Amino acid sequence: MPGRRGAAPTDFSLCRRCQSNDPTITVRTEPLCDACFCKYVATKVVKRMETFRVRHSEPGYERTLLLPLSFGAGSTTLLHLLSEHLKGQVEKTRRTGFKLHLLHIADGSRSTASPTVEALLEKVKQRYPEHSYSISHLSDALALEDVRTLLGNDSKDDESHSLEGSDSDKFERLIASVGSATSRADVFQLLKLKLIVHFAKSKDCEAILWGDSTTKLAERTLAETAKGRGFALPWTVADGESPHGMQLYYPMRELLSKEIASFASIVDPPLDELILRNEARVAVSTRNTTIDDLMKQYFESVERDYPSIVANVVRTTGKLQAASLSEIEKQCELCEMPLDGQAPERSRLCYGCIRALPQAAG
Amino acid sequence: MPPHICEVCKVSRAQILRPRNHARVCAPCFISLFESEVAETISSTTLFQPGERVAIGASGGKDSTVLASVLKTLNDRHGWNLDLVLLSVDEGITGYRDHSLEAVKRNSADLGLPLKIVSYEDLYGWSMDQVVAQIGKKGNCTYCGVFRRQALDRGAAMLNVGHVVTGHNADDVAETVLMNLLRGDLPRLSRATSIITSTPSAARASVARDEKAEVTFTNVKRSKPLMYAYEKEIVMYAHHKKLDYFSTECLYSPEAFRGSARTLIKNLERIRPESILDVVRSGVDMAKLVPTGDGKSQGACTKTKAPEVAAADDEEADGGCGTSNSKADGNSMAAMEKKLQQDAQAEADGNETEVKLPSQSVNGQRHDRDHTHEAYSSLSPSAKFDGQDHDRHTTQPTTTVPIRTKQEKKSGRKTNRDAPAPKQRLGQCERCGYLSSQAVCKACVLLEGLNKARPRTGVEVGDGG
Repeated sequence: MPGRRGAAPTDFSLCRRCQSNDPTITVRTEPLCDACFCKYVATKVVKRMETFRVRHSEPGYERTLLLPLSFGAGSTTLLHLLSEHLKGQVEKTRRTGFKLHLLHIADGSRSTASPTVEALLEKVKQRYPEHSYSISHLSDALALEDVRTLLGNDSKDDESHSLEGSDSDKFERLIASVGSATSRADVFQLLKLKLIVHFAKSKDCEAILWGDSTTKLAERTLAETAKGRGFALPWTVADGESPHGMQLYYPMRELLSKEIASFASIVDPPLDELILRNEARVAVSTRNTTIDDLMKQYFESVERDYPSIVANVVRTTGKLQAASLSEIEKQCELCEMPLDGQAPERSRLCYGCIRALPQAAG
Repeated sequence: MPPHICEVCKVSRAQILRPRNHARVCAPCFISLFESEVAETISSTTLFQPGERVAIGASGGKDSTVLASVLKTLNDRHGWNLDLVLLSVDEGITGYRDHSLEAVKRNSADLGLPLKIVSYEDLYGWSMDQVVAQIGKKGNCTYCGVFRRQALDRGAAMLNVGHVVTGHNADDVAETVLMNLLRGDLPRLSRATSIITSTPSAARASVARDEKAEVTFTNVKRSKPLMYAYEKEIVMYAHHKKLDYFSTECLYSPEAFRGSARTLIKNLERIRPESILDVVRSGVDMAKLVPTGDGKSQGACTKTKAPEVAAADDEEADGGCGTSNSKADGNSMAAMEKKLQQDAQAEADGNETEVKLPSQSVNGQRHDRDHTHEAYSSLSPSAKFDGQDHDRHTTQPTTTVPIRTKQEKKSGRKTNRDAPAPKQRLGQCERCGYLSSQAVCKACVLLEGLNKARPRTGVEVGDGG
């Protein structure tokens, strides 16, 4: 237990913390029992939620935080942990420090919404009925004003289509026009982020809580480096204010992906049935592999053998010093990262985004 | 399928698909593009002074061979008036270096450039073969690298040359960027992406440049004109120019961090060839965000000496080769993992007793620092000083090569809010006079160990100044 100096000699055959149960899982170097492991996970997350404690909230005004729910292990587990956390707050203080709004962004358009997702969302609502829920479609991003301006250029060429086409048609066309699998994934990510931030603002949310693990943040660090966005790294892993005009937090940042996966199975009842597994789409051919996929595979193996190194990548990235937000003069129109000196002259996009979407660079 | 036509001359059949921009070009157009890109890198960074004496670190491998050929060509073409010499280090590895030195000698004759060879045997009294016989196959990369760094500087000083260029290419730099991210070493990341690094004395010398200052082995600049050139294109350039190089690589596999980063870079290149230069660009941009006082002593503590010393001194550990990590088990990743875990454990137990700087950091930072020192003193140096390549250019057609000026670096340091107290002070080795943060430099320490087992030889370090 943190801070405890052992009075009694440690029994190494038992859980290192409670010393009464058999260990079921080894966390970093400590063998722990289920209960102590769950406590460990919960503590790691709750600790990162300091800012949103009850005592920091004004009575009579409840803050809303947006939790984007992808049905991945990370965001689902975060939902679970924060639900428990809020229950605890109510028990102790009769009020909560914040309330949660959940948002799922379905890939593609309304017409292609998957039944699986609808069903999953129902299950989640049943288990955590106390929060509000919304669903949005990636193609809705095209309705955002800045996305319209950004992508407006190329639709001039075929006005007949762009005038008539529905958003989902345009969306299909846009995605089809993006060159490689990596660029497509990149553009997807960025549009999703824009949509989520837009939604959070429209609901007066104070911050967005992401379910990314340490492992995920490390993947993103290297992936963004490989996409030429090294200049934006301080923003990609930082808690708090962001160039998006919204506070972003990563409460799961001290947990490894494998720890989150174990937690999702150990917790009772397990979260597994609420989680969308998409292991199946590990591409075999290089053609369809994205830089994100590559980094994911890479860190899966690093996490197995060298978990501390994964965490260290994120800590290291956190040490890079970004210019203060007030100094930012111009931002990339796609990823919204500061452009100063990072882009060709008069470009509206940063290098990374030009790589992904050369036709919009103009 | 009809053959593609060269996009540049629109006449010949395209033979080469360029990784940086997918352009299909014919061999003669490729050669001229490649050369003009290197020229652009050199001129946009004002890498050389007119009439400067420049030593080309030549190993006989592809990178340094191409570098020598391109520099010679450009020097003649643009009338830079550079005084070029080839500088080789003979580590004394039979079957490897003796053959590659033959290639260097042929290059020297072909290009009409003078060649200077400095041998470990002469400088230190020990050839690598003797070192290996003494300490075995494990861990000898440490010796090789530590010795090489000094050997190049000493060789340059003997030639009275204040500037050594090496063949590091874009792939090498990208690999080093990823490696140092994995390793959490931001200061070294930032140095690896700097096209030129200089020692303190060199920086001072450049202030009073016109003086005919004597070059000593402590004030030699290093630069990498090929840092924007793809390894693949270097090979193609060598092929189409029919250059004579020696292609065997050192027998030892890279240490774990570098090996891991190398694999990653190769996979990235397969997915998106441009990403190698994108990583380099990211590294250059990140270097501007590195808090300079942190992690390494090069900041606050070196005010009296020129600030970049640490950088240059340290560079030896950047190299490519060795299995040798200080802890000798050959797996630097495992060693670091262990260390990070111990530190985390110590923090969790609240009984950390080691006295460390009270920096703002979570414990990771302390780790980094420790690790850095360790690496600093004993990681293998780059085997490839010679072997690096070139190919400059950034991702966009109009190349702008970012370079941080000294002013930027210095002001960055000043503004650093929590520079740690001085930990290392760059000084000179009390035995040989080489730059070192310790009283006795690493090479002298290693030599002492070696010589103990061979009492008949005294400590023998070439006197370079």
